[in-house]
Amino acid sequence: MNAILDIKGLRKHFGGVTALSGVDLAINEGEILGVVGPNGSGKTTLFNVVTGVHKPTAGTVTWKGKDITGIPANQISGNGIGYTFQQAMAFPGLTVLENVQIATEHSAASTRTDFAWPTPAALLDFVGISGLAREKAGILPFGSLRLLGLALALATRPSLLLLDEPAAGLNDRETAALVGLVQQFPAHGISVCVIDHDMKLMQMLCKRLAVLDFGAKIADGPTADVLHDKKVLEVYLGGEL
Amino acid sequence: MEVYEHDRSNTMIKSVSSLRSLAPVLIVLLLLALVPLFSPSNRFLSLAISAGINIIALYGLSVLFGQTGILSMGHAALVGVGAYTAALLARDFDIGFWVSIPVAGIMAAIVAAIIGIPSLRVSGHHFVIMTFAFGQLLTIILTNGGDFTGAASGLDMGKPVTMFGADLDALPRFYLLVVAFVTVSAVASWAIIHSSYGRTLRAIRENEKLAAALGIDVGRHKIGAFIVSGVFAGVSGVLLAYFLRHISPGQFASFPSIYLALMVMIGGARLLLGPLAGGILVSFLPEVLNLDPVQSRILYGACLIAVILFLPNGVIAGIADGWTWLVRMSKRRPAAGNVSEVGR
Repeated sequence: MNAILDIKGLRKHFGGVTALSGVDLAINEGEILGVVGPNGSGKTTLFNVVTGVHKPTAGTVTWKGKDITGIPANQISGNGIGYTFQQAMAFPGLTVLENVQIATEHSAASTRTDFAWPTPAALLDFVGISGLAREKAGILPFGSLRLLGLALALATRPSLLLLDEPAAGLNDRETAALVGLVQQFPAHGISVCVIDHDMKLMQMLCKRLAVLDFGAKIADGPTADVLHDKKVLEVYLGGEL
Repeated sequence: MEVYEHDRSNTMIKSVSSLRSLAPVLIVLLLLALVPLFSPSNRFLSLAISAGINIIALYGLSVLFGQTGILSMGHAALVGVGAYTAALLARDFDIGFWVSIPVAGIMAAIVAAIIGIPSLRVSGHHFVIMTFAFGQLLTIILTNGGDFTGAASGLDMGKPVTMFGADLDALPRFYLLVVAFVTVSAVASWAIIHSSYGRTLRAIRENEKLAAALGIDVGRHKIGAFIVSGVFAGVSGVLLAYFLRHISPGQFASFPSIYLALMVMIGGARLLLGPLAGGILVSFLPEVLNLDPVQSRILYGACLIAVILFLPNGVIAGIADGWTWLVRMSKRRPAAGNVSEVGR
């Protein structure tokens, strides 16, 4: 397997608090990797450091063989890494179509020409909200807003998508629809890394899981193995069953 | 396929609706251009000219505040850069009005960049305080500039505005000149708002974090918007220098800056009629109500509080919302009694 994104010894301190204490993680081309962990384990910080929202205290992030450690947030999408936020998914005062137009306009730096959804209309169609194109994003129901957030990240034509709790706040039907979309990405040349603590979702989506606890990786491997790992069970259930 | 059709019709609707937003402004300005025909008093024309000069700067502020969501509390300083550029060019190089316009625009843009690059590293309230401080700093520089800036007493503008050999100094002519410049500013502001650049600025206003995630260089665009608003301010300053014939540092200090911010908030920054309404209201209200300067400051304060509380998007947006509400109410009533409608 080829690592498309290689994280080595990543540390992040906020003052005296250690959010990440030397994490190694490789995301392979064409896989859907899940990163799980209890609240405060450093999942979102991991994303924020990779995507340039925060500068790491130490460690490196290598993207397709190139060192991208600490590059500014707005240059990440140009390199082909798309990401979605837990909150703040869209531009509320603009229409759904305008939202996606903005996202496509600024993806010029991205090198991918062979992209499955080349236009804003195609993207809205794919996530299934083209009927809402003229509505202001601010009035969308939560489920549609999540889908719009996904369309915006896709509009930057990524080769890797980082999804931060993509199913938070969704009902079972909406979650299943989202899973259906995400599962199509590898076939279109988009590797995926999902963070969430919803184990049901992770089992549906990911063949491989990495587990974070207190800013350190405590397990990494095939989903079934990780779910039976002694340390993981301790973290999640406070001990063996 | 259907989606693409939808897309195309949507952009068509958009271009029509964007023209629709420009039309009322052009009509109002056309009507205002007819004012000299009714032989208004000099007092009225002077007020109207000052209002117009402010409105030019307000169109720049509407790009900055309305589209990008950045409030500048030192904008009069950039107007001052334009005014002093014009006065110095006239005094030291015998350069007249028409050349001063682009030169002052560029000078104000440069100063905006100098202010913007350090200030826009911080955001929100901190930026407001930074612009306020820079505004004060400019006043101090101008006051201590010795003979070059005329110190506290300022500079005289010795040249008239001429066009095709004709002197535009008479108030009605100068008024028309200002209306023409307001029109250009309004159209320029409209063009920015309806371009993809304008959309990028709105994206930053709506969600900075997401804008950056989608590849928008947020910092660069914020500075860009500040520079654009500076150009408007610089042009406004040239007109001010040629109108007042004498400029001094106090005219570009904190109070005028606060007035500009007040006008853009009262009129509303997001709609094209907003700066026009704000500029006219704030300039003429004390006159119409016959208030002295102290009373009018109290009135401005009260107005600002009222606008923030009741019409957060300004007077024009408030009127537009009221109108939509009325239309909806009047439509609802007959529909309720209509049997065939109910049957559907």
